[in-house]
Amino acid sequence: MSSHSMKKYKIGGLAPLILVLSGLCLVPFFLRAYLVEVAMMYFIYIILAQSYRLIVTVHDWQLYHIVLYGVGAYTSGMLAKNLGVPVFVAIPLGGAMAGLVGMAITLPLLRTKGWGFYIATYGLAELIRLTWLKFRNPFGGSTGIIDIPWPPVIAGIDFSDRIPYYFFSLGVMLLVMLMLYRIEKSRIGDSFKAISMDPELAASTGINIPRHRLMACSIGGFFAGVAGGLLVHRLGAVDPKLFNITTTLYLLIWVVVGGTNTFWGPIIGVSVMHTLFELSRPLIEIRPMFFGLSMVLVLIFLPGGLEGLISKAITRLQKRDRVAPVET
Amino acid sequence: MPILEVEGLSKYFGGLAALNDVNLSIQEGEIRGIIGPNGAGKTTLFNVISGVYRPSSGQIRYQGKTRIDGLSSSRIAGMGVVRTFQRTALYHHFSVLKNVIVARHLHAKENIFRVISGLAKKTEEKNTEKALEIVEFMGLGHLKEELAENLPHGHQRALGVAIAIACEPKVLLLDEPLTGMTPTEKDRMIDLIRKVHQQGITILMVEHDMRSVMELCGYISVLDFGMLLVEGPPAEIQNNEMVINAYLGTEDILSASTSA
Amino acid sequence: MSSQLLIQTIANAIAASGMLALIAVGLTLAFGVMQMANLAHGHFFMMGAYTVYALYALGGWPFWWAVAAAVAVGAVIGLIVERGIFRPLQGDVVSGFIATAGLMFVFEVLVGELWGWGLSRPIPSPYMRAVRFMGAAVAFQRVLVIPFAVVSIGGLMFFMRRFRLGRALRAVAQDPEAAALQGININRMTALAMAIAGAYAGLAGGLMSTIYAITPSLGGHIILPALIVVVVGGMGSIGGATLAAVIFGFVMTFVTTLVDGVTAVMVSVTVMAVVLAIRPQGLMGRVIA
Repeated sequence: MSSHSMKKYKIGGLAPLILVLSGLCLVPFFLRAYLVEVAMMYFIYIILAQSYRLIVTVHDWQLYHIVLYGVGAYTSGMLAKNLGVPVFVAIPLGGAMAGLVGMAITLPLLRTKGWGFYIATYGLAELIRLTWLKFRNPFGGSTGIIDIPWPPVIAGIDFSDRIPYYFFSLGVMLLVMLMLYRIEKSRIGDSFKAISMDPELAASTGINIPRHRLMACSIGGFFAGVAGGLLVHRLGAVDPKLFNITTTLYLLIWVVVGGTNTFWGPIIGVSVMHTLFELSRPLIEIRPMFFGLSMVLVLIFLPGGLEGLISKAITRLQKRDRVAPVET
Repeated sequence: MPILEVEGLSKYFGGLAALNDVNLSIQEGEIRGIIGPNGAGKTTLFNVISGVYRPSSGQIRYQGKTRIDGLSSSRIAGMGVVRTFQRTALYHHFSVLKNVIVARHLHAKENIFRVISGLAKKTEEKNTEKALEIVEFMGLGHLKEELAENLPHGHQRALGVAIAIACEPKVLLLDEPLTGMTPTEKDRMIDLIRKVHQQGITILMVEHDMRSVMELCGYISVLDFGMLLVEGPPAEIQNNEMVINAYLGTEDILSASTSA
Repeated sequence: MSSQLLIQTIANAIAASGMLALIAVGLTLAFGVMQMANLAHGHFFMMGAYTVYALYALGGWPFWWAVAAAVAVGAVIGLIVERGIFRPLQGDVVSGFIATAGLMFVFEVLVGELWGWGLSRPIPSPYMRAVRFMGAAVAFQRVLVIPFAVVSIGGLMFFMRRFRLGRALRAVAQDPEAAALQGININRMTALAMAIAGAYAGLAGGLMSTIYAITPSLGGHIILPALIVVVVGGMGSIGGATLAAVIFGFVMTFVTTLVDGVTAVMVSVTVMAVVLAIRPQGLMGRVIA
């Protein structure tokens, strides 16, 4: 992955943001039921991809993010079903559990460098996933858990209905994005990037690298867990297959194709790639090949991802506005 | 009172001694020069003091009694012993100002919850102000928005020192601060080092440029083959037989350095 | 555990060690030379198995000709991946790693579209005989991999010590910059390493194709044990990978026999985590300062 380019450019101020938001608020009233469900998946995937990017800014391309998403889903689902914890309390608790698990599995691997680290994270992710598969009690084995409680009725709004849940997940996504944005722009976010650019220099200025890596993994894990909670109380069921290596590959594809240099990359990645995913349903068998190839090609020819391409185009346009082209 | 004491320090790499029983005593407020031919163990010495390597044996004491040998780099920096690098170590894709802001990590601690809730804004603003002061102090004010990778070499080196200063060190280890500089850049850097020293920072400096070392340092320690060869004020070192022999085949260590 | 079952399990464990070693040695060699990791290496194995399926089971070729073709197919795929992915991404470890993750999808779809998805393809074993040993019967086909593993890995080690080309390969693995200064053509060496890696994986896939139920997802199943072996052995260390292959060959076979396959993977991953927590560089890996 190439570098973090910190070049300044404006995507266009607040106006487009307000436009997009009002669009998102109107959309569920006009779309078919199925498409509203699809839209909710976008929100969940954007939370996943953005929280993953936070970890990537420290250069830890771990492969257990999807399993932490699962930890959130299982925890939240089981708390609600077995212990009667209210759904809206269970979801953040699922996030907390995912954050803790993320920290626990990163801890023994902190001294393992580069590739060994990535592989080991894959191994430990499988360990967790296989635990769900192996222990029918309490995880339900390969069939997973069903009859997970729906969200309740609050102030006359039934959150198990499609449109209220749409707004609930939209709200959660925006909140997560705001928090991640604040971290990104803070000194902590800068320290993460500093570590990935020059770990030796970062350590020499007093940045405790293991602590920051653990922090990134657990914060990222927390949000992945929240995404899992959002998923499980909409599906009403959960099983280990949802969190296997294939889902991890799709996460990588969103993040890589979108670009990891800025905050907006993963959003672009999910928006474009998941739309293509939905559109290519008729080609379901060869679809993975297209996605795999597109990631390979982006890595080789477009290291900044789609976001890099767009921002480059914008800066070029701005330049052309400022300096009139000279006719020759 | 010595602020930094190195006692019986050795570092072996697979049986080879890069440092062999080195003793140093650095007084608070001095500028100490560390010189010696290539491969004498100067950078290894810095790496051990700053926690990059664990010493094979020996002690490093800071401010009288605190042992810092074997601690991690970040902890040692946190205690006030900060180093720069021989290579031009910068965050290349950050702006000049951001480079310094990040380096103020130790003095702008904010926990994640205050960051997320927006309560940390004030600390961060104050930190930026302080970073800006440092950038100005190092003569980089006009370049503060420039990406570090786009700076000319001399300014990059100055930024490297600015990053270290931002940690508010009591002892600053400078690893060849003048490497690869033009004469003008060198003069500017020497002035900067003096300015930093006037802030009350003790400086330990490895440098090949003898003229500058002689000019800046009050006391010089010479390393050769990982051992402390001799110590003394510049005038003494310049005429020391052993030192001249160590810089093999050169009669005058002053000319040896400037051509290197 | 009866003595018969014990002997049978030991024989199976040795066979599994041989197969794991064949896969892991290539993976670790390629890593040593390029500092790049190939997540799609298990898919090389799968392609080898499918080559034998296509030529031997469907095409009626003699078994050994089909295995030879599997070796060639593996080598060619290795070369293509080196040329198409690793070379353009030179030195970018993370990108190389993720790109090969994308390749997993590509190979899987390719095989699935060519030979069908879903149910496993049974391949008739050319050797129905069993080896009888102390009252236990061990399928001849299963132990076939052992002599091949010993000869190929021994041969590779010999090649890397005694032959000029092999020594060059070793030099690149130890210090690419110094090797380049000595005039060794790095690109040629990475191509050689990937060809060997592909060939060995293809060989293992071809030999084991009659034992495993082959499906397009076979590569995804075999890669995790192979990666564990490489990481625990010490990345880049052929000796380490061989040692770790034997350890995990036994651990996985015994746990599978006594408990089940899922538990075997869980135990292996746990062993890996413990080893890495104590020795981050793996059993025989070099410490990177």
